[in-house]
Amino acid sequence: MTDRAENLILALPGLLLLALAFFLPIAQMLVLSVEGANGPTLEHFVRFLSDPFYLGVLWRTVRLSFIITVICAAIGFPLAYIMARVGPRARLWLIVMVILPLMTSVVVRTFGWMVILSRGGLIPALLRDFGLVGRNFALMQTEAAVVIGMVQVLLPFMTLSILGVITRIDRRLEEAARTMGCSFLQTLRTVVFPLSLPGLVAGSLLCFTLSASSFVTPNLLGGTRIQVLAASIYKSVTQVLDWPFAAAQAVILFVGILLVLAPYVKMTARNNG
Amino acid sequence: MKAQFGIALLGLSALLSSTAFAQENTLTINSFGGAYEEAHRKCVITPFEEATGAKVNVVTAYSADAFAQLRAQKDAPQFDVIHFSGGQEIVGAAEGLLAPIDPAKLSNAGDLYDFAKANLAKGEGPAYSIAAIGLVYNSEKAPTAPTKWTDLLDPAFGEHLVLTDISNGYGMLSFLMLNKAEGGDLNNIQPGLDAVTKLLKGGAIVVSTSPEIQQEFAQNDAWIAPYASDYAFTLRNAGLPAKFVQGAEGTPASYITANLVANRPNQDLALKFIDMTISKEAQACFAEALRYSPTNSKVELSPEVAADVAYGAEGVAGLIRFDPATIEANRKDWVEAWNKAIAQ
Repeated sequence: MTDRAENLILALPGLLLLALAFFLPIAQMLVLSVEGANGPTLEHFVRFLSDPFYLGVLWRTVRLSFIITVICAAIGFPLAYIMARVGPRARLWLIVMVILPLMTSVVVRTFGWMVILSRGGLIPALLRDFGLVGRNFALMQTEAAVVIGMVQVLLPFMTLSILGVITRIDRRLEEAARTMGCSFLQTLRTVVFPLSLPGLVAGSLLCFTLSASSFVTPNLLGGTRIQVLAASIYKSVTQVLDWPFAAAQAVILFVGILLVLAPYVKMTARNNG
Repeated sequence: MKAQFGIALLGLSALLSSTAFAQENTLTINSFGGAYEEAHRKCVITPFEEATGAKVNVVTAYSADAFAQLRAQKDAPQFDVIHFSGGQEIVGAAEGLLAPIDPAKLSNAGDLYDFAKANLAKGEGPAYSIAAIGLVYNSEKAPTAPTKWTDLLDPAFGEHLVLTDISNGYGMLSFLMLNKAEGGDLNNIQPGLDAVTKLLKGGAIVVSTSPEIQQEFAQNDAWIAPYASDYAFTLRNAGLPAKFVQGAEGTPASYITANLVANRPNQDLALKFIDMTISKEAQACFAEALRYSPTNSKVELSPEVAADVAYGAEGVAGLIRFDPATIEANRKDWVEAWNKAIAQ
């Protein structure tokens, strides 16, 4: 048996699974999205793209995903740096703490936030007691709630991606920078940050795609009034049984994410090989 | 392996004997699961089995699922009596899936209000319970007791009002009633949408499932919600001071019907089952257990139960049934219009 054949046989189960579980449904979705009463049609796409309501939903999805990614990066980078530079014991504890939220179901975690953020919940009640906000103040069913919930869910992805890269950065580079007269922050900015970009990019890609397609958290924390694209797709499928339109929305989400990510990947690939 | 084979054999023989038995003395019906099915067994199924010696197979299937099964089994139906809560009997009867019922064969048919037995001859089974939609409110905190649908627009309720998404059946009926009270009809839901927009501006919130309503009342200081009468009872059981009132402009109703399936061998037994379902005892039992409104004029309820349902000739006089077929035909457009109206 040749090497080639052996490799093929080894890869076969994976390829089969990929074909069955990924390419087939995607192909079906593509077909469904152009399905019309009289043969293939683009009417579902036209309907979406010509309606300010759906464009608004798309814009909110992209905007929130962007904000969530930026916040994750802002928290995740310093956290990962500290994790990389403390002793092994402390690092273990920090990793456990970061991963811990992933061990509970996303629904349970989100319900926790609902308790804290709702009108009678801990945070709004506290703010009210201090007289900082009006009587009707609530964080539930706002975009802020969605962002808070999603950041918690996605932070581990960002932190661990960056951590992997930072731990491989030679510490002597930082020491060299310090002896050359850089302050601590300057070292971070000119040495550590550029070198950890690949991790930051990988983490951002994960955060962005996951939050753009997430459904449970925005639905529970944002409520029915703050629609994101994934929730809109879900509604089309379950409430009005309009599968072709749902498929068209899914294709738009898919293409939309590709469009945002492609230049991002290209740019950083050029910088970091 | 052996044991598995044995179990399979056992199952097979049980299946065979049950199908043989089915010809004689068994009915297959659907129920809606959970607390409903529990009450269903207590109020109708068990008394029926005791009275007739027959056996009743209960398949848990909501109206839409049960209807899909009925359609799929067109040539060899498996249900004898099928229960619907979403108006499926209108379509089922038109498609010939349900058999016309001769009122003479139901001893209790005479006691039913007219609306509950209007289309027996067409094949639409009698309505044995009604989920009445009105105003559920917190009797301790609401500044004034609401009496009519337009009270929802009272700024005093403002941020303490809970609306239900129209993907929910009761939410749909509440919305259509608000629309009607504001001057709209099934051809024009704009007045309703305008009212909802106004309510949302005033601070009302939208939920999509009934447990969320309970959450709003329990934790988030909700005072009023247009919803089904049985839910006021659910809230009270959870220790909340909730009351139900029928809006003066009318009470949209969701009928729960018991229908005779066409082309089944045991129709006489099935008719007996339906007869028992509409009896005053069974209906009083349903009202007692779940606070569904009875359709039998002879039903007597304690004042406590009566307060929660549409009771007596006066109570049922205001019942409105929005045509389920029209709702289905428009659902897609309405849901989209609603989503746009409530989006922030």
